[in-house]
Parts: sequence; C-alpha cells; structure tokens
Amino acid sequence: MANRYDAVVIGGGHNGLVAAAYLARGGLKTLVLERRHVLGGAAVTEEVIPGFRFSVASYVVSLLRPEIIRDLELPRHGLHILPLDGTFTPLDDDYLWRTDDHGQTMRELRRWNPLDAEAYEEYGLLMVEMARFIKPILGIVPLDPDRPDPRDAIPLAGLLRAFGQLPRRQQTAFIQLMTMSAADFLDQWFQTDPLKATMSASGIIGTFLGVRSPGTAYVLLHHYMGEIDGAFRAWGIPRGGTGGVSEAIASAARALGAEIRTEAPVARISTRNGRATGVVLQDGQEIEAGTVLASTDAKVTFLDLLEPGTLERDFEDGIRRFRFRGSSGKVNLALDGLPSFTSLPGPGEHLRGAISFSPGLEYMEQAYDDAKAGSFSRRPYIDMVIPTLVDPRMAPPGKHVVSCFVQYAPYELAEGEQWDDAKREAFGDAVVDTIAERAPNIRDLIVGRQVLSPLDIEQTMGLTEGNIFQGELTLEQLFFNRPVPGYARFRTPLRDLWLCGSSAHPGGGIMGAPGRIAALELLRERAGGLRRWRPAS
Amino acid sequence: MAAGIVIGPRSSPGRYDAVVVGGGHNGLVCAAYLARGGMRTLLLERRETLGGAMATAEVSPGASVPVLAHTVGRMRPSIARDLDLAGEGLRLVQPEVRAVSVRPDGPPIALFGDPARTATELASISRHDAAAWIELDRRVSSLAGVLGRLAGQTPPDPSSPRLDDALGAMRIGLGYRGLAAEDRRELLRVLPMAVADFLGDHFETDALRALLSIRGMRFSSLAPRAAGSTQQLLADSAGNGGGLAGETVYARGGPGAMAAALVSAARRLGAELRTGVEVTQVRENGGRATGVVLASGEEIEAGIVVSGVDPKRLLLTMLDPESLGPHLGWQAGNYRSAGVTAKVNLALSDLPAFAGLDTDETRARLRGRIVVAPSVSYLDRAADAAKYGRFPTDPWLEATIPSLVDPLLVDRARDSGVRHVMSVVLQSAAYSLREGGAEAWDGRRDELGDVAIRVLETVAPGIGGLVVGRQVLTPLDLERDYGMTGGHPLHGEPSLDQWFAWRPMLGLAQYRMPLEGLYLCGSGAHPGGGVTGVPGRNAAREILADRNRARRSGRR
Repeated sequence: MANRYDAVVIGGGHNGLVAAAYLARGGLKTLVLERRHVLGGAAVTEEVIPGFRFSVASYVVSLLRPEIIRDLELPRHGLHILPLDGTFTPLDDDYLWRTDDHGQTMRELRRWNPLDAEAYEEYGLLMVEMARFIKPILGIVPLDPDRPDPRDAIPLAGLLRAFGQLPRRQQTAFIQLMTMSAADFLDQWFQTDPLKATMSASGIIGTFLGVRSPGTAYVLLHHYMGEIDGAFRAWGIPRGGTGGVSEAIASAARALGAEIRTEAPVARISTRNGRATGVVLQDGQEIEAGTVLASTDAKVTFLDLLEPGTLERDFEDGIRRFRFRGSSGKVNLALDGLPSFTSLPGPGEHLRGAISFSPGLEYMEQAYDDAKAGSFSRRPYIDMVIPTLVDPRMAPPGKHVVSCFVQYAPYELAEGEQWDDAKREAFGDAVVDTIAERAPNIRDLIVGRQVLSPLDIEQTMGLTEGNIFQGELTLEQLFFNRPVPGYARFRTPLRDLWLCGSSAHPGGGIMGAPGRIAALELLRERAGGLRRWRPAS
Repeated sequence: MAAGIVIGPRSSPGRYDAVVVGGGHNGLVCAAYLARGGMRTLLLERRETLGGAMATAEVSPGASVPVLAHTVGRMRPSIARDLDLAGEGLRLVQPEVRAVSVRPDGPPIALFGDPARTATELASISRHDAAAWIELDRRVSSLAGVLGRLAGQTPPDPSSPRLDDALGAMRIGLGYRGLAAEDRRELLRVLPMAVADFLGDHFETDALRALLSIRGMRFSSLAPRAAGSTQQLLADSAGNGGGLAGETVYARGGPGAMAAALVSAARRLGAELRTGVEVTQVRENGGRATGVVLASGEEIEAGIVVSGVDPKRLLLTMLDPESLGPHLGWQAGNYRSAGVTAKVNLALSDLPAFAGLDTDETRARLRGRIVVAPSVSYLDRAADAAKYGRFPTDPWLEATIPSLVDPLLVDRARDSGVRHVMSVVLQSAAYSLREGGAEAWDGRRDELGDVAIRVLETVAPGIGGLVVGRQVLTPLDLERDYGMTGGHPLHGEPSLDQWFAWRPMLGLAQYRMPLEGLYLCGSGAHPGGGVTGVPGRNAAREILADRNRARRSGRR
C-alpha cells in the first residue's frame, strides 16, 4: 500500500535528507516530509529580492562530513564547493588580512607582531593535531555512562589510548579546549588583539556566550577540522548557495530511491501502545511507518509533534530544560556595487573571503554585554561574505549579494521588548551602521535588504528560539548529554521514534553527521546482528 | 585514612625528613600528618603568625575580626578527628540560619539548616520555589557527596595511566554507582553547567537564584553564566552536609582559633614550626629536591620539600628554570591566578539595622552569611567589572557579624565603644586594574572601603555612621601580605581548566611536582581552595606512600 513506509523522515533539512539517503541506500522504503515549499531547512537558497539569490540562513560550509560526500557521491549530484580564501578584519585605519597563502599571512602577522607570527605557525600545527584527535568523536554514537553498551567500549577505549599517546603539550591543549574560554585560550598564544578577536569569534557562534565565557574554546577547532579532510578547503560556499548542498543531497536521496514531498507539514506523530507508528499531516492524511525519524529539533519533536503526556514527565522536563537561546541574526543585502573599506579601499582579493567585524576582544565582549542586558548588540560581531565574487550567478551582472551573520541578537529581549517590525529594522540598521563605519559607501549601494531576527528564523525555519544549532553547543549539552542524558543515542523513549537532526550528537552546522549516524545506527539495529540496545528508563 | 600510614622510626638528627614551605592551614595539616607518619618535619612560615589567610586580627583596639575566610565549616570532620582539634580546644558554632539575602527592594530571604524550615519561609515568596527547595536540596546533598569522596582521593593521571590510577577511577566509579539513577545522569550534566542556569532550572525567584549563585562564584572570577560554576557550588557543599543552603560554621575566637588548634596539633605530633623564615629557593641536586634556601642565605637540608605556597610562585620563583623546562614554564606562566576578591572588615558601635530584620526574632538571622546580591544580572555586572579591569562600583557582598555568635571577639573593646565586628567579602575587584595595574590599589584602598559601605547602606541605612574601625584588604594586599600570587585566595582559578586531574596542571595533579621529592600540599592542588585541609592531607598520604615504597625497595 502506498501510504506505508519503512521509514518516514520529518523535515527536509540537510540532516533529514542525509538520513533519508542512507536509509534508502540501506534498502528501506523511505519518505521525507518537508513543511516548506523548498528543501534544505536552514541550508536553503531563495530569491528574496528579484534577481538576487540569497543563502537565506546558513551561508558557508566547512564541516560537511567527507564520508557523506563520498558515500552519496554528492559531486555527481551537483555539489560544487567554491573556496573562500582568507579572512579580512577591517579596523578604523588598518586591517588584519589572513589568506591561504601562507607566506603572505606570515608577512602580514609579522607586520603586527613577529612573535605572533611565530606562534601562529606552532598554533596551527597544534590545532590540526587536535582536530585529527577529536574528529573520530564526531563519527561515533555517544555512550550512555549510566548504561554502558559493550559495543561503545571499542571506539572509546581507542580514543582513550589515543589520548594517552598524545604528547603532554597536546593533552594539555585538549583539556584546555574543552574547558577554557576562547579568549583565555588565545591569550596564551597571541598578543595581536584583532587576531585574537577574529579567531575567538568562531567560539561564540550560535551560543549565548561571550568570548570570555568558559567552554567557548572548543569551537576554535572546528575551523581546523575541514582542513584535514583534504576533500576541500576549510571554508567554502556551495555553488548556488547553501541550497545547493541540500539540492545535491536530495537528488542523491531520490536516486537511491527515497521519496521526498514538500509542502507536506506534519501535524503530529501517531503512536500506539508505546511506539511510533507513523505521522498525520496537517491536511489530515495519515502515513504509516515502521520507524519515524525526526530531523526537527528536540522541542518541536517531543513537545509539539507528540500528544502531551505521551512521554514520561521527567523526560519532558529534560527537553524543556534543553537550552536553545538563539543569539544570532542574519542580514542579507542586495548591492549594486562592491563595498570599499577605508582601511583598504577599492575592490580586491580581500573581499573574496570572509570579512570579519571583530576589531578586538573587548569589542566582542561588549557585544555580549548588550545581549545579556536583553538587546541586540549596538556594535555586533559580523561575519560578512560576498558570494557573488566567487559565484556571480547569484545576482544580475555587476550586482552583488552580501551575507551577514550577526551576533548578538538574543531571542529573549528585555522585559517589554519584542521582535516586531520596528525592532527588526532597528537591528538591520545597527548592522548597516557597523559596516558603514568601515565601508562608508555601503549605504548608497544597498538596493534591498532582508533582516532575520531569531524570531524570524524560528518562524520560517522552525528552529526553536532561532537557535541555528537546534540547541546550544555548551558542555552540558554535548555528547552523552545531547539532547538529554540517557537519550543521546538517537533513540527516544518512544520505540521506533528516532532523532536525526542537530539536536542530537554531534550537533549543528552543515555537517550531516547526526543524520548519517542515526541512519546507520537504525540500519545496524534492524540488521539485528547485535543485541538490541534499550535506553535506560 | 590513618590505616595507610606506617609509623616509622625517627631518622638521624640534624637532618629533616621533610620541610614544609608555608604555614597556611594546608601546610599545617600536611606537616601534622607527616609528623604523625613518623617523618621528622620542619615547617617554615614567612610571616610572624601561622595559619596564613585563616587568621583573626584586630580591626580596632580589642576588637577581633576574621581577616579573610570568615567561616570554617568546610574543614573535613575526618581531619579534625585525626588531629583531635577539639582536644586542642577548638570550638565550633553553627547557627540554625545559614544565609540571608538582604535586599533594597524586597523582603529578606533566609536559608536554614533545616530544609523544611527554609521551604516554609520561601513559601511566602514563591510556593513553586518552596516546593523545589526540598527536592534540589536533596539532590545537591547527594551530588556533593560524590564530590566529597572525589576530593578525598588523589586524582588519576590521564596523561600516563597507571594501575593504581585505574583503581582510583574504580573507587570514583563506585561512589558514582552509589547514586540514584537520575542523580547519576544529573551529575555529568550539571558539573560543567553555569550556576545561574542550574538554579534557573529549579527556582523562579531571581533573588534566590542570586543568593545561591554566589556559592559558585565565591573567591573566583567565574560569572553566574560561566560554565563550571555549578561544580564550585557543589564543591562548597562537599563533605560538610551543608546542602543547598551551605555551611556557616564559626570557630570561637575567629578562624585564628582553627589555625591555633592546627598549630598545637602539629607540634603535639612532633612537627617543628618556625615563623619569620622566608624560603626563596628549593635546593636541587640531580633532578631531586634536597632542601630549601632561606632569604637569610641559610640552607636547610631535607629528604623532601613540600610546598604550601601556590604553584605559580613555587614553579616560577623557587625552582631553577632549567629544571622546569620551557613547556612547563610556559604552562606555569599561563596558570590563571588573578584574584578578584577584596575584604573589608569593620568595627561597629552597634548592630546595624537591616530592612526587614529589625525584630528580636528576625535579628537572629544576621547570624548567618549576610548576602547583598539583589539579582543574577547584578552579579553578572559585578563580574564584568573585573573582566574589564574596572574599579568595582557595584560589587556583591557576603558579610558575617561573628560577634553575634561569639561576643568575646569584642569583649575587650566595649570601652572603646565597639559592640560588633563585621567581616565583608567583596567581589569582583580585579587584581590588575586597567588604570595603573595592581599597584594602583595602593592609592584606592580607602575608596574601595567606601564602596563597601555605600553598598551596605542600600540594605542597612545608617551603617556608615556606626563604623568606628575599618580594615581594607585589596587583591594586592592579599598577594603582598599572604603571598598569594595575584591575590587569589584559592591559589588559582577553580575553573574546569584547572580542576581535578589537571589541577594545577596536567601531569602535576598527584601532589608530585616536577622535581623528585618535591610536593604540593596547598590550595593549588586537588581538590582546591577553601578551608578544607584536604589538599594537605592528600599530599601527606602520597608522600608517606612514596616513603614507604622507597623503604620497601630498600632505598634511604
């Protein structure tokens, strides 16, 4: 019968599509249901302003797992990642410009501080070693410290042995990365303030923390993870925007036999005596499934799509405690020319990479102070990219699109304030003002702008509180604690309901890991070779 | 604990088996256990008085006040028993009230030793929080119990696993297994949490969250939203049955009495204690510590050297950089030990009138820790001042009025019009100020005292008029007077990057320092700062174990 599937995946974001592709490849009759008219979730390209195509939300890729690219033959399905070369940090009357040209970057750093240039080399080597060590963690199923499963012992023991064999210096660095603040960690290495600020920025993205908050150092590694794949550069943008990634994965999934429906919003997950049996669409249509995989975030999945009371109260409380706290916004600009920076006027290579508004650590920390006080940063950290310089087809000839990731924009505003149209525009203005301080001509170039507050991200993408990672990547919400202790293994208290989105280990970013590991784990369980694992209750 | 110790014969006179550098509470505890273990032990203290920061001093003629730490309830009962501190005349007093938050804009919130009573009181503010209190108090006690057991053990060394490490890990595992299933899961989730989030999950009253948050922030630069501050809150309840309200135990005669008891215990057990002797260098020979060099130039030979001084001072000023090596030198240089704590001690002509605590019945609540921390964001802003190196204008305060439970403290000062003494911990005051660095504090000491009074005035109007004597200790003073690098009362940040198996740093967490025969017994070692005595005892246990191992293998 047409309405019976082995697996139904809720949500056509990149993780849902990855999961579907692997399940189909594993021979399961698989259906993906996407609420919106476009696939990709937060990894989506839309023509918001006629002629201008934006990577509406997420805008760069660095972590997409190389094994996914290989397994699903994504290049054959149109995935093409264009390198973003370098990071340009404009200041009032100077700049810091690092590129993939090692020699040039060294010369630039020496100009700032010869010692930092030396340290930078050493630091880079160390971080690559660290990334190499940590990488396996992104690929394993978290163990449940409460109910250890023998099967997890092997990879874990391997990890511990590997740690024991690291040089002391790297062991120390690892512990520091897991526990320190990005700023404290970098203070050990460098003096150059814009360098530290720009590097520390990666530590705060998507979390309601500041560069001096413990626990932010870990994300510094992410920048280096891409580098060791060799598959592609650390940072790149997919041709056709991040929607290009989703399209490629979707096409691979279809080729492998998965069925994908858009504009098919799921109203609820149907259950019968303690197990998920399928879904009911908002139009009332019922679809039966052997297994339901939700790529929606933990709150949407367990508190919105399930009848209240289906799950134990303790578990529901745990989900309510799971922290989202969206802290960032997005501003997309349509320009009819290129911005010119006072510190390095005119067009040039420096515009082809990431342009980071992060002049100093104190600037970053003050941006956070505004957010703590319940308002968007008056002078935010902005990560700006001009995709049209590497992918001209995103805009009419001579015109450009500019993608600005902005932090902080707290979902929760101070009492009496809310994200209404006025607030949204004020936020957009603050971003343009911040850019204009260093590239004054931007104002006259803007022919259109799209501003997304965390509330907009929640409403359009379905991401709770607008958190781009489907839940903060803080220590207490990682690995065996993600999303809830005891349920970090993609299974849920409800039999045959699985989690395969970024709310699950190892978390967010266009990585695809949750979707992949969840699918492989489900296939492994169905193969039934090994004892069926039951979450502790 | 005593079981592990072999009582051995005294070795040849003239030469000491062990020299302990620094006569703070951990140095004294360690020396006492070493002497008890049969080692000929000499303790050297730079200052004229023993006890380090655990001291009682005169704030004005005849009026005694706790200089730094004002409560001593974290001292492990097992240590007090081992050293028979009661026999040395130590008397402890714990009022039923543990803490009270006094607020400019609301009724006081009081916490008691009895959770039921606390809940009853809380009910008048929030029924929800009253109900939550009982449950969270139980959970905190249970989780703190695990940390208590953890504190008593020598951490495993993840950098080079050995068999007894594995055994230690097993013991930890057992303690962990002892927990209820939900607590077990909770432990690993909450340890790295921000204390404001942890409390926010359970309580709706902001002022209550703030009152409890400071237990995760005291003496450290951790902000309420800093990861790992929950671990600090739990550690503050570890091994003292304080539960969520925390302990508030006074030593009769002030913390100095605790020091005095430790001193006589150490002497009774055979340790030799000398004051006014400054150690400048650890003597080494072929990678082995052989004694110490004094400021006077005199050298003292010893089988082993034990440091009660903080790791930064030890590694960077008392050792030969050659033997330390570049990497360890770099690590030690980056060891985070910039303090944010200042102390203001007051002699008062009368008991200040706190809003909402003016009846005889309610006045009794001033016997606990009196906290001025109106909201979590207030704490956040207070911490921000230190973050930016700004002079603190709105710090949070934790005060005690020890003379309420121990009138003898002011007995000899009545004629000079002193009725009470008040001990005020003030945070956050950055060790190094943006304008002028640490030295700037010399010019701003009084200003800091005025800030404390101004903040107190918001909850106890007129208190300024009662002040007849005042002593202000800036972070710089803590460094200069008590030798704490960076003026850090805990001998280094207690954050997760300097914690447990990597406190003070990875590879040095087992009390053994880079030189053979050199040990760390101070708050820079696991389980860290606070008047617990545990680092001192743990270090002694390792030292005696090494001694016994050496004996078995027939060396010395």
